[in-house]
Amino acid sequence: MEYSLITVIGTIIIGFIVSLWLPGLERKLIHARIQQRIGPPISSPGIMAPLKFFFKETIRPYSPLPRLYNSLPLIGLLSVFLIFLFSVPETYHLGALASIVAIVGFLKIEEVIYVFMGSLSKSVMSLRMPFPDLAKGAKHPNVQRSFLEDISAMRAFRLIAFGSFPLYIALFIPVVISRSIFLGDIVAYQQVHGPILFSVAGVIGAIVFFIGYMILLNEYPFVILKAKADVIEGPYMEYAAKWRALVYIMRGFLMFTLAMLFSVLFLGVPPSIFSWGILVSILVAVLFPMLMASFSAFAPIFTFKQFYPVTFGATILGVVALLAAFI
Amino acid sequence: MGTVHSAAIEPYRVRLFVEDEIVKDAEITVGVNHRGVERIMEGLPVEKANSLTEKICGICSGVHLWNSVLVAEKGLEIEIPERASYIRIIVGELERIHSHLLYLAHGNEVLGHETFSMRLFYIRETVMELLRMIGGNRVQYGVPIIGGIRPRAELDEMKIQKIREGINYIEEKVKEFADRFTSDPMIMSRITGVCPLSRKDALRLAVTGPTLRATGVEFDMRREMECYDPFEFDIITQDDGDVKSNLLVRVFEIFESVKIIRQALDNLPEGAIVDRSWEMQDTEITKSYVEAPRGTLYHSYAIEDGRVRNVVIRTPSMANIGAMQYALIGHHITDAQLGIVQCDPCFTCTDRAIEIIKIG
Repeated sequence: MEYSLITVIGTIIIGFIVSLWLPGLERKLIHARIQQRIGPPISSPGIMAPLKFFFKETIRPYSPLPRLYNSLPLIGLLSVFLIFLFSVPETYHLGALASIVAIVGFLKIEEVIYVFMGSLSKSVMSLRMPFPDLAKGAKHPNVQRSFLEDISAMRAFRLIAFGSFPLYIALFIPVVISRSIFLGDIVAYQQVHGPILFSVAGVIGAIVFFIGYMILLNEYPFVILKAKADVIEGPYMEYAAKWRALVYIMRGFLMFTLAMLFSVLFLGVPPSIFSWGILVSILVAVLFPMLMASFSAFAPIFTFKQFYPVTFGATILGVVALLAAFI
Repeated sequence: MGTVHSAAIEPYRVRLFVEDEIVKDAEITVGVNHRGVERIMEGLPVEKANSLTEKICGICSGVHLWNSVLVAEKGLEIEIPERASYIRIIVGELERIHSHLLYLAHGNEVLGHETFSMRLFYIRETVMELLRMIGGNRVQYGVPIIGGIRPRAELDEMKIQKIREGINYIEEKVKEFADRFTSDPMIMSRITGVCPLSRKDALRLAVTGPTLRATGVEFDMRREMECYDPFEFDIITQDDGDVKSNLLVRVFEIFESVKIIRQALDNLPEGAIVDRSWEMQDTEITKSYVEAPRGTLYHSYAIEDGRVRNVVIRTPSMANIGAMQYALIGHHITDAQLGIVQCDPCFTCTDRAIEIIKIG
């Protein structure tokens, strides 16, 4: 029991420490190199920036429910933490919690918080100009204004509705192949039959998983939640000081957790500090952001005109992988 | 800074009236950061007023000064040496290249393609260094003076060689960029058919410069300027008036500018670079038009006791920004910024002055 507890805590600590370096790896090693610029220090985006934000003065956000708004990154971080927790082999005996259904639930919480963030934020960039529009002979002077974050909340809702389909379909490919929703069974199946990744359904599923990973992390070209061009920073706009630090940490941790999930579901290698398997999780966690950065460095921002077909295409691919898994 | 939020990149305000992320109407307010340059110029000695025009814009500072100097030269009937005219053209075309590269880099940044944006800025750096070499500064190089060009802008063999090397490099790199850019399906999908302006609307809304040429209208003020007569170049046009056409017009115009600079260097006349044999006298209001990187630039003033009077400056962005309000309608909110950027707006040029007309 004591040994299990040490394994779980140690694995989470290792995962957390690695996750702090991932944004730096992505931006320094790939983005900056491709863009022929120096880029930030490797520790800056993941460690130094959150550290700096922790020591800044907290301001009250312009929000109808500021406490709830501020607590959302913490809720997001918690849901990601739970996904991580139940992916460690020592927790597999918890049954339903260590299953794909539970992971989907926690991921949905992670997605829903963006809708709340958008709805609860009224950023300073959206505030009315200090003169009435009538004085300028404005068009439609009595039109009700909307905040930039309202748009991002609507987009987050769309992301839940169809944007994250590819990832969820990919999660169910190992379920179909191993005939079980429990992570323990999926891992055990692969220890006997070899990694699911090396099957036809697995290869297609991995591609779909990766597209879903990019969509869920809102990386270029799928950056609809916070496209600089139109909604500036979207739901994150009003986060300051320690709350902003939590947003950064949450994203880094999600990057690691999703990659770790991939190594559990498609390679059959769960993370554990007392096994070499954790190196596989770390390798995937490093490889995924690097691949993501390579794609995003050469892509423009998608509008819905491009976003819908790509998501639809990835979903179809996911369905094909599912069918292949049944066969 | 006026009634504009300090976090805004440019001092202008866009109100978009949207329904389900589709722009139903748009309103672009300019003039929130006006500095009243024309008013400051009133009563200044001509040379001082001329050098002030260079401060109107940080991108096309040279062409403002050139046009302002041309007004004085026209009014005072000064014939400038041919060598000076050629050097002015070289500087003018280098400025056009750097402005167009800035546009392309900014356009790609708005598009979300940071890699292209960064690489274009690197290419632009070559032009900036050439301008610094010629004029002594990267932004305000102050080459034209009444009667010719400033002596420090004289081109010797070493400078000519460096300009040749620079334009060769730019031509090669822009070609590479154009090939990569036009063959990228994701980029083409993002810019094709976005915020188009028809030829009829462009003419109705008094659009000018490359934005007008992107709608298929073959008009370039350089054809009307006598100093450009010895040079062979094409007027680049595209048909669709959308973001793609606007980007492509400017890409191809860079090659035409390179062509003009090469001809100017090959046939650079010998002789003086400034004529100082003129005398200051009073003039009527004199007008001058030149082709700035963004379109037709108008300057006019009269000279009275060696000082300027009745200064009027009309920059191309003023007309083009107005037209963009129209082009945005019916398009996605994400494309709105791209739609505004497609006319290469320059808000420092635009926010020179504001006129308040009181009715009733």
